[in-house]
Amino acid sequence: MFNRRRDKEPVTPNRMMLRRTLFLMIVCGIVAFFALGARLFQLQIVDHDMYETAAVEQQLRQTNVPAQRGTIYDRNMNILAMSASVSNIYISPAEIAMYDEDPVAIASGLANILGVDYATIFEKTTHTDSWYSTVARKVEDDLADRVREFKENGYYDKDGKQHSYNGIKIEEASKRYYPYGTLASHVLGFVGADDHGLAGLEYSYDEQLSGIDGRIVRATNAYGTDMMFTDFEDYYDAVDGQSIVTTIDETVQFYLEKHLDEAVVDYELQDGACGIVMDVNTGAILGMASVGDFDPNDYLAISPEAQQRVDTAMVATDEERSALLAEERNLQWRNKALTETYEPGSVFKIITLAAGLESGAIDTNSTFYCGGSLQVLGRTDPLNCWNTAGHGNETLTEAAMYSCNVAFTLIGQKVGAERFYQYARAFGLFDRTGVDLPGEASSLWWSEDVFFNKANLSQLAAASFGQTFTVTPMQLITAVSAVANGGYLMEPYVVQKILDADGTVVSQREPIVVRQVISEKTSETCCLILEQVVSGKNSTGKNAYVAGYRVAGKTGTSEDVTYEIEHGEKKYIASFLGFAPANDPQVAALVLCENPDHGASGGAMGAPTVGKILTDVLPYLGVQPQYGEGEEGIVDQRVPRVLGKTPEEARELMESAGFVVKSVKGSGAAVTAQLPAANAKVASGSEVIIYCGEEPPTEPVEMRDLIGLSYEIAKIRAGWDGLYVRGEGVMMNSNSILTVSQSIEPGTMVAPGTVVTVTLSDSSWGATART
Amino acid sequence: MASKNEGTLTYENSRLADYTYDNSIDRGAIDIPFALLTLVLLTVGVVMVLSASFARAYYDPTNETGGNATYYFVRQALFAMCGVGVMFVCSRFPMGFYRHISRIVMLVSIALLVLVLVPGIGEKVNGSRRWINLGFTTFQPSEVAKIGIIMYFSFLICTLKEKVTDLREGLLRFIVTLGIVCALLVLEPHMSGIIIILAIGLVMLFLGGLPMRWFVIGGLSGASLLGIGYALFPYVRERFFAWLNPFADMSGDGYQIVQSLYSIGSGGLLGLGLGNSRQKYLYLPEEHNDFIFSVVCEELGFIGAMLILTLFALLIIRGYWLSMHARDRYSALVGAGITTHLAMQVILNVAVCTNSIPCTGISLPLFSYGGTALLLQMAELGIILSLSRDVTEKR
Repeated sequence: MFNRRRDKEPVTPNRMMLRRTLFLMIVCGIVAFFALGARLFQLQIVDHDMYETAAVEQQLRQTNVPAQRGTIYDRNMNILAMSASVSNIYISPAEIAMYDEDPVAIASGLANILGVDYATIFEKTTHTDSWYSTVARKVEDDLADRVREFKENGYYDKDGKQHSYNGIKIEEASKRYYPYGTLASHVLGFVGADDHGLAGLEYSYDEQLSGIDGRIVRATNAYGTDMMFTDFEDYYDAVDGQSIVTTIDETVQFYLEKHLDEAVVDYELQDGACGIVMDVNTGAILGMASVGDFDPNDYLAISPEAQQRVDTAMVATDEERSALLAEERNLQWRNKALTETYEPGSVFKIITLAAGLESGAIDTNSTFYCGGSLQVLGRTDPLNCWNTAGHGNETLTEAAMYSCNVAFTLIGQKVGAERFYQYARAFGLFDRTGVDLPGEASSLWWSEDVFFNKANLSQLAAASFGQTFTVTPMQLITAVSAVANGGYLMEPYVVQKILDADGTVVSQREPIVVRQVISEKTSETCCLILEQVVSGKNSTGKNAYVAGYRVAGKTGTSEDVTYEIEHGEKKYIASFLGFAPANDPQVAALVLCENPDHGASGGAMGAPTVGKILTDVLPYLGVQPQYGEGEEGIVDQRVPRVLGKTPEEARELMESAGFVVKSVKGSGAAVTAQLPAANAKVASGSEVIIYCGEEPPTEPVEMRDLIGLSYEIAKIRAGWDGLYVRGEGVMMNSNSILTVSQSIEPGTMVAPGTVVTVTLSDSSWGATART
Repeated sequence: MASKNEGTLTYENSRLADYTYDNSIDRGAIDIPFALLTLVLLTVGVVMVLSASFARAYYDPTNETGGNATYYFVRQALFAMCGVGVMFVCSRFPMGFYRHISRIVMLVSIALLVLVLVPGIGEKVNGSRRWINLGFTTFQPSEVAKIGIIMYFSFLICTLKEKVTDLREGLLRFIVTLGIVCALLVLEPHMSGIIIILAIGLVMLFLGGLPMRWFVIGGLSGASLLGIGYALFPYVRERFFAWLNPFADMSGDGYQIVQSLYSIGSGGLLGLGLGNSRQKYLYLPEEHNDFIFSVVCEELGFIGAMLILTLFALLIIRGYWLSMHARDRYSALVGAGITTHLAMQVILNVAVCTNSIPCTGISLPLFSYGGTALLLQMAELGIILSLSRDVTEKR
């Protein structure tokens, strides 16, 4: 094969070969390189900016520095919501695999510290294409520190060298705390997992509360760690969120919720209750609550009863059960006082009254006749008064006291549909109030065409006593506040001040007068008439009476017509709107008792609840009591501390506090014991016993039945056994106001000197009567 | 210089003389421009390996380097030094020697290509059995096959002369050889190897005088081969689509090429400066290997990249020039073949980096990390230097 002969005469390349080599030289050595050069020019010069931007975008990594969310304070700077720093723990399965770290050790270590299921974590480590898999969110600092320690301690490789776990990551985050738990939960709302508000103030003031997250921008390698030899880093400081100071008063809110809770139990309210306490003169909301509520610290948790409803519901699929759960959550998150409308019923007569007086259609001397029913143009059947026997001849005040539907229908007719409509609009009942809370519902009214129909006055008639239209509780209390405060419709509000992170006031809210609806004179007249609704003889609002305070108000009982149409069952709302003092209104409270198990009555349910709220709230707010005639006896007094005093001094102290010293036992020079104990609150005029040396009796006595008595009689009967009473409810001396319950069951053996609380209620007021 | 040898041409009288160094000392000197261009490019290449590789070597995501940032550089530098030695050694063997061992090289190539398919000898990486592990280093038999084809085809052309175009007696041998080699490469499989070897084979036939009409036919059949490859191998299809629009699948098939374009594009006119590539921080895959030119573009900019391409162009032109002035036909053919191989690797590599052609694994001669590949390249360039000794019209 190796032909030596050919080698002897080397064959030079022929011309064709040279030509073709030259051709290759031109193509491969020149043309191709020009083409590549052109391509590089395109990429590096023409499209340079585009590629550079894209490259920088992937090379720079931003780390979020979360801004601290602002605090929510009540009006006295009590903290209602605050944020604390916590950590999110996550793992990077890709890095665990990349650095050959032991997933078993990592999973069991994290499971130990965090209490997360080991198998769950281990399963996550198997997804080695993932760089981010959350193990635990919002972990407290002490646990996060333990995780950090575990990460740093890491493991030892086979050469005995220590490595930290690259696959475990700790990320700064913040957690929201609500120190008062469920208190004011509907006003406060809650924040979601991303630390942004989802409801309530947290939602409506999210922008102010959130602040601006800071960033750290770094050049990183493709694995997200720092690029070597580059110290490129840019900081953008976080701006912490602003804090808000609300008009909510933690104490008022507490009383409101306490009494609403009691109402729910006492009156067996199927759909809970809601209420608002408002500063009449400014529109500031002091308290606002709905029962059932929720704990914003754990806003997804539902009440045990609701959970049981979900668990036992007959549903086919898990999706349906989740839907039920979601429904229960939505129910508990509803701020019913704002986001739902209802027929206000007779409470609305306040507005009819104000419109009648202001328009001149009636005056304080107007009289009405109620025969139990009234024929109204456009109605086939006559309109019945709730008292079908009729109220007979009545003055304007009496019409209000007895909540006479016939009289108010006549007032409405005197005012006329157009003017009635105008007043309703002027009182803000057509528009949202503009309160700074989310989810405010819109009222629902007849259209002008229907309402102004001269041939059919039935709509006007029903509207005169608060039926056939719906408003929100917020609209109603705002409108009635205007009636009470001299005629000024205020814009209700919850946030009065916004502070920056240093506590400096950024903005301060001044009360906003929307318009003056009625004159101060009309307002004054209305207040005096409405005071009679509470304090007048046999009036409907008697249960809202608060000793020492001139409470004005109006009862209301209304039916949820929509519910009846949809479900075929009747459902009532018993409500009361009261404000005090009548001569200089400061505070208004509206309570809605929803769907009582039996016998809805604004007078029997709403009025006592408002009465209790005002009893607690008025002294707290520093409204001075003014006692009328015959009222002293009903006021409970604190027993002074007389231990160590001389018997004479003790007697003097006791008597000046309004107590009667029944006897002084023993002959010692100083008091060694007293009954009842110091600081106990008992009925004024109770007989106290002072011991000077002698031992007080310790033998238990039997509690007697104190129900159905007047307060005075209950006090005397308890005294027979050496026991004491204190009162609750309608603290008023009247033959018709009797004890309806006692805190210690009759027959119970108790120590001498024990104080039993009795609840007083107006027995003349039928529990089933509707107003 | 050749004339000096003519009188005492042991080369013509003694078969043994072909292999003696003594004799070759009497040949002319190597071509200085070609040697200088090679050394300059090799030096720049080694420096670029350091720059491109140290991030990956430091972070060591594949547990290969133990976090030693200069791991790849040190190895490449050692091989480069050996490579320089290999080149000069190769430049000393007379061309007759190469001609004499042409068939053996071809047979060894084929043997190695068979050997690599044997599990245990051939290492399977990413589903392909392309590498033979020698313990201290690995190498691809396909690299040997390339030089084998060049040498063997040159030898055949010289032997067959005008019979090259005769289908039965000439052309068939070429086709059978190419067929065997390509079939073995298909078994690995090794797409880019097939492309380069087919191209080299065709260029050799082109130089050997195959009529132009055959190339028209060959071009058509090549196109249909591409079509077949497109139809048969899913990964060919994927690469084709990734080429058309790499941004459509930035985290998948398009990832490599997008990262390469980011690197090249962010270089701009002057580049980020030597050592300052940011894309090499594990964004750009194969940054010290197939995509080292992208790092060159990013760090040295358009100017630097064009400078290096110009050096390559000059080297290639010089290679062809030397081949055209070679003393004998075999030298001319081998020289043109090796130069074409070099040119093709450079052009295709840069074309892949710039997404001018679909992505396939082609390394950049003298730059890409890889010890044995570098040694073989240096050996090839050494053969050109060897033939340059017989060129009389230097300078």
